[in-house]
Amino acid sequence: MTCEEFQMADLDSRLIAEEGPLQQAARQHLLECPHCAALHENWQALRTDLHALGAETREVEAPSRVELRLRQEFRTKHKTLKRRRVALVSAWALAGAAVVLCAITWFNWRLQQGQIANMQQTRGGQSTVTAANSTGGAQHVNPAGPELGEVLMAFNDSGEFTLLPGTMPGSLDDATVVHVQMQRGALGALGLTVNEEHAADWIQLDLLVGADGQPQAVRLPASSN
Amino acid sequence: MKAGRQPGEMQIDSSERDDVLLRRSANGDEEAFTLLYRRHQAPIYRFALRMTGNTWAAEEIVQDVFMTLVREPKKYDAERGALGAFLYGVARNRIMKHQERLPREVPLLNPEDDGFAGYPQAVDSATPAHWAELRERRDHVRAAVLELPADFREAVALCLLEEMSYEEAAESLQCPVGTIRSRLHRGRALLLAKLEMLRDTPKRANGTR
Repeated sequence: MTCEEFQMADLDSRLIAEEGPLQQAARQHLLECPHCAALHENWQALRTDLHALGAETREVEAPSRVELRLRQEFRTKHKTLKRRRVALVSAWALAGAAVVLCAITWFNWRLQQGQIANMQQTRGGQSTVTAANSTGGAQHVNPAGPELGEVLMAFNDSGEFTLLPGTMPGSLDDATVVHVQMQRGALGALGLTVNEEHAADWIQLDLLVGADGQPQAVRLPASSN
Repeated sequence: MKAGRQPGEMQIDSSERDDVLLRRSANGDEEAFTLLYRRHQAPIYRFALRMTGNTWAAEEIVQDVFMTLVREPKKYDAERGALGAFLYGVARNRIMKHQERLPREVPLLNPEDDGFAGYPQAVDSATPAHWAELRERRDHVRAAVLELPADFREAVALCLLEEMSYEEAAESLQCPVGTIRSRLHRGRALLLAKLEMLRDTPKRANGTR
């Protein structure tokens, strides 16, 4: 065994005490080399001192205030995290609610727009004057009357009386149907829109004349088309 | 029949694995964290104390190490090794930083002034003179250990003072066993040289008188 090998092996405390080929070689080297013997002796003394030094602090622990401080820090950190999590969840919930509210509002608005469009279409159809059919009777009058902004057309084949502009629907109870022949252009004087190309044409129509002698509604029989 | 638990007593099975406890701790389980702390604080504190020689510094280092577990529990990866080794690693970094901050702060022979006040002293039944001699020798040894380069001091602290096996020390310092042996060998040589020098100094001083 060389000195270097001995010194490496000497680190182990069981080198001399135990039996084995390595230990035997080490003991032999110890007898033969005074330098290594001195080193071994010093090392054993130092080892004893180190052992005693280690024993002094073997049961030492961190003071309890460290644990208290750490636990306090732990609580603070996790309380903050919890608060942050709650705030985050609340924020997301609010955002979600706002989105749902917007969606519902938008859906309702769309629905309302559709209904308005349908209503306008329906009313547009109802307000058109038709004068082709006289079988419906003199009192068959569109009760809604002409709406503001609607156009009364002289050619209408719904077969119903259409109120002239400015006539109240309720004042037709005592009205009389008068069958007249007139130029189409004269319908303009009653507030109806007339196609200028056919203004000179003679047409037959039914006028609903009120008790005061004023025409209230008009119906164009089919033949006049 | 088992007696009821005392207030403050841990409700968690003490054999629960470190990584499980750490996961629970990361989810806000204070008991799990406390158990982890109590399981690992003592060796880390001793290691820090032996490396710095200062109880205040050791206390601060332990606090820093476990604060890392509180703040960044995901830093520890169970697949890379035991939690103990991870904590030793963090402690080593903190010790290095501490020593960089205070390069000259090596408490030597004035225990009352430099943080050694809390360092336990062995009680000896021999005469006061013998006790004083013993204490002086241990102070020399302690000072010599503290003056070792950090790598050698780590090996000495773990293998000779904490009496870990080479394998355990290698795992804690995350290096091969051969490195531990070699550091210990060189550390011993430095210690012997240093102590020989310390022993010679008073002789020379006496001789001059």
